[in-house]
Amino acid sequence: MNTEALKELLYKMADDQLILGHRNSEWTGIGPLLEEDIAFSSMAQDKLGHSQALYQLLNQLGEADPDTIAFHRKGSSFKNCQFTELPIGEYDFSLVRHFLYDLAEKIRFEMLTESSYEPLAQVARNFLGELRYHELHAITWIKQLGTATEESIGRLQESLDFSLPYALGIFEPSPFEADLIAEGIFEGEEALKAKWLLKVKEVLGQTNLRMPEISLLTPVYGGRMGNHTEYLQPLLNEMTEVVLLDPAAEW
Amino acid sequence: MNTPLISLDPRITRLGLYEVIPETLVPKSPLDQFETYEAFFQKKVEGHYEHTGPVHAPHPELAYLFAKEQYSRRGNTCTGIAVVKTEDIQATAFTDNDKNIYDLIIPRGEIDLSGPVKSFDIFHMKKRGQHHEHVGRVEAHSAEEAIYKAKQEFSSLAPVVNVWVAATEDIRFSTPEEKSFWDTLPLKKYREPLAYKVQGKIDQYKKEHSSN
Repeated sequence: MNTEALKELLYKMADDQLILGHRNSEWTGIGPLLEEDIAFSSMAQDKLGHSQALYQLLNQLGEADPDTIAFHRKGSSFKNCQFTELPIGEYDFSLVRHFLYDLAEKIRFEMLTESSYEPLAQVARNFLGELRYHELHAITWIKQLGTATEESIGRLQESLDFSLPYALGIFEPSPFEADLIAEGIFEGEEALKAKWLLKVKEVLGQTNLRMPEISLLTPVYGGRMGNHTEYLQPLLNEMTEVVLLDPAAEW
Repeated sequence: MNTPLISLDPRITRLGLYEVIPETLVPKSPLDQFETYEAFFQKKVEGHYEHTGPVHAPHPELAYLFAKEQYSRRGNTCTGIAVVKTEDIQATAFTDNDKNIYDLIIPRGEIDLSGPVKSFDIFHMKKRGQHHEHVGRVEAHSAEEAIYKAKQEFSSLAPVVNVWVAATEDIRFSTPEEKSFWDTLPLKKYREPLAYKVQGKIDQYKKEHSSN
């Protein structure tokens, strides 16, 4: 098994979960409705749980323990796509990101339930119930607000147009694509993107939202190689603020 | 007067909000609430759905999501949620605990049998103060006919102090695939206050900082 390829895959998936989980948790207490605030916070917690499970797999492959990986790395070591680190903005952007990212996430882990690396396949199977719920949550809101008022449709459309180039960055090819596919670890980013596009179009087709022409967009790449926006470092500073006060503290 | 909103919470400050302080009296805002739905909770596979409380929502699907958050974030097991708009539930009168409400339901004259037959779900409250529990379904032309059919079929489950009837098509039940939403619920102990063992640390802190 090509361990380098596997680790690269695990790092980018785990970092996505950690960073987006942290971002989404920023809505805790200030969500638009009490119940929605709780829902968004719960899903953010699920994402942190997913990152922990994936960091655990890395730990079993000889990497540091999950807390060290999560809290004691510099920004350029993070492999999350830039989409996940953007500020929460207004709720329309956070919802659109949730929709675009979580649909891809669910398809990715569905594909990974067939991975030749059994520990990863097992983790993917464990995630599925939560991911189905995240998907239902995202689709329900997009359908509701994507067919509601001129303002809600206009806001979602603007966020969708802004987000799609970043969302395409989720599928930034890894230097190990061929190895991952050949060894049956993962079917690859291209296959995932094709399935994702179908699903996104299917949902948007049930709303008044317009899918921009994907072939005309330039994907925002770089995150998977450790190149990040100005927004990642302040997020890491805030996320590690408490743990750095006393790195040896036990919880 | 508009002043930038600065908060101790950096997330709030980042939102770039303004604090609007009106200089004169303004009308009090009306209560801003969505309509209510009743939520039901299924604890075990094949178990009865049990009423668990209301939820405000603008749409049945959102009511379903909100009910999941409000009533099944914690706990050891859940295998399903159901929601129905409160106004889509027909209810009998209440009796005291020693009387069966079905004994007081007497068919009056002709029941309207026009229109198609559909399925209705029946919920019983067995004792005052308890939750309504799902007992089964009947086929009927109307909620009124459904309650008479329920009397024939379910009144042996007496005593029943109150009955709810709702058309099955108005109830959003969990689908078989959605039952996996709660697979990891027992692992979410971090949502329970009991998962945090802090008394020892508090005692230790008090000891170290006591003035004696």
